[in-house]
Amino acid sequence: MKNKLISLFVSALLLAGAFSAFSQAKKPTIMVVPSDVWCNTNGYMFEFDNQGSKVKVADYKTALQSNAELLLAISKINELMAARGFPLKNLESALKTLQDQAAEDAMLTSKGGAEVNESPIDKLKKVAKADIWMQLTWTVNQTGPKKSVTFNLQGLDAYTDKQIAGASGTGKPSFSAELPVLLEEAVLAHIDNFNVQLQGHFDDMFKNGREVILRIKTWSSFDGDLTTEYDGKELNEVIDEWVKENTVQGRYSTTDNTENMMLFEQVRIPLQDANGKAVDTRGWARNLQKMLKEKLQLDSKLMMKGLGQAQLVIGEK
Amino acid sequence: MKKLVALSSLILVMILGLSISVNAQAKKKADKDTEDFVYEVEVVSVGTQGTYLIKVWSYSKKPTVAINQAKKNAVHGIIFKGFAGKQGVPGQKALATPEVEQDKKAFFDEFFDDKGNYNRYVTSSGDGDVAAGDVMKVGKKYKIGVVVSVNVSDLRKALEEAGVIKGLGSGF
Repeated sequence: MKNKLISLFVSALLLAGAFSAFSQAKKPTIMVVPSDVWCNTNGYMFEFDNQGSKVKVADYKTALQSNAELLLAISKINELMAARGFPLKNLESALKTLQDQAAEDAMLTSKGGAEVNESPIDKLKKVAKADIWMQLTWTVNQTGPKKSVTFNLQGLDAYTDKQIAGASGTGKPSFSAELPVLLEEAVLAHIDNFNVQLQGHFDDMFKNGREVILRIKTWSSFDGDLTTEYDGKELNEVIDEWVKENTVQGRYSTTDNTENMMLFEQVRIPLQDANGKAVDTRGWARNLQKMLKEKLQLDSKLMMKGLGQAQLVIGEK
Repeated sequence: MKKLVALSSLILVMILGLSISVNAQAKKKADKDTEDFVYEVEVVSVGTQGTYLIKVWSYSKKPTVAINQAKKNAVHGIIFKGFAGKQGVPGQKALATPEVEQDKKAFFDEFFDDKGNYNRYVTSSGDGDVAAGDVMKVGKKYKIGVVVSVNVSDLRKALEEAGVIKGLGSGF
């Protein structure tokens, strides 16, 4: 009897542990980056010719290697966010990892002499990634001997392109304080307000689901298009109905719908499935892929961008 | 002679009793004022890491009660009221919503008790000295401004650990 009770207790503990492990939603990654305006003002930009038009791209690596104030601001924000129980991904480390990984991939061969597979898309995707960008800008204002710092911190959702949090303002002018001190003061003064808005975004996410984007496209090899009828319903209708049934309170908007592509924005997907397992956009869109295969015998290729964007190309894998 | 001593002792005891009762009443009224948000919070400057440097204006008929209540009002204000910014210093939002105040009433009653934990997160700046311009007579009451420093970082952590407010990473 005693043994039975103990085993019952252990099972209950294991079950509770498993449930709590599953009931956690997937945590978004956040990274602090200097804004394009800051990089441009301070001369940290690449310039290249893109079919006749000059394009400027922020050069984070040079900025981090040569600007101590930027490093200080990023490190202060990272430190304060870690103290709030939300450690951030560090830009400098992410860039170094990418570089190391590229060097390793170039040298990597199997015993038989095979190289690592890499498509042009894989190459394009080799950039520093985060689900939320904390974009940092500051300018130093000087009036006579007085200096002040105008600070702007924007929280940008990498997939919906929405600003989900922000804090900005100009600090007190000072005669004597040096720039790093003014910058540290600005970070301290603004980070709490930023976090209140970030918390609001997370609360909304827990209540109404994660906001993601779903793109449907077709391969040129696909025999048909999105208006082709299956059991009396056009393919785009079938997909639309599936999205409606599988979003939180049916919340989404169909931004584009043609015979070749569909774009669903503001799609609110649940953070957990019926079994309490954490869901990301891939897991969610995978169910659509399965439904198309099982019900309509349509093959498709599912591609991802972080936690928040999925692209399903119908016709073949 | 004996009668005179006894009478004066009685009067002394009565005066002492009355004074204690008046003080207790003033303290009770001050606690009620805290609950009813009858105080004002004004930002002084950006504090050191994890702290806010604020001036709290409290009201009481007894100046000492208003000064002593300042710390309680400061913590109450940071949790439930927040404060507006001024040029060069941004305002801050409250740590908890009004719903939390209702839902966790038992916790906050204990927290804001005279011997409660609120005292851990606040220190008066300048040993509670009040500047001459920060004492005002408004009707029958004194309005007194005391500069205090609130350790918001530790206060938030304590509230998160007690399950009163949610942490940034909770749920993930």
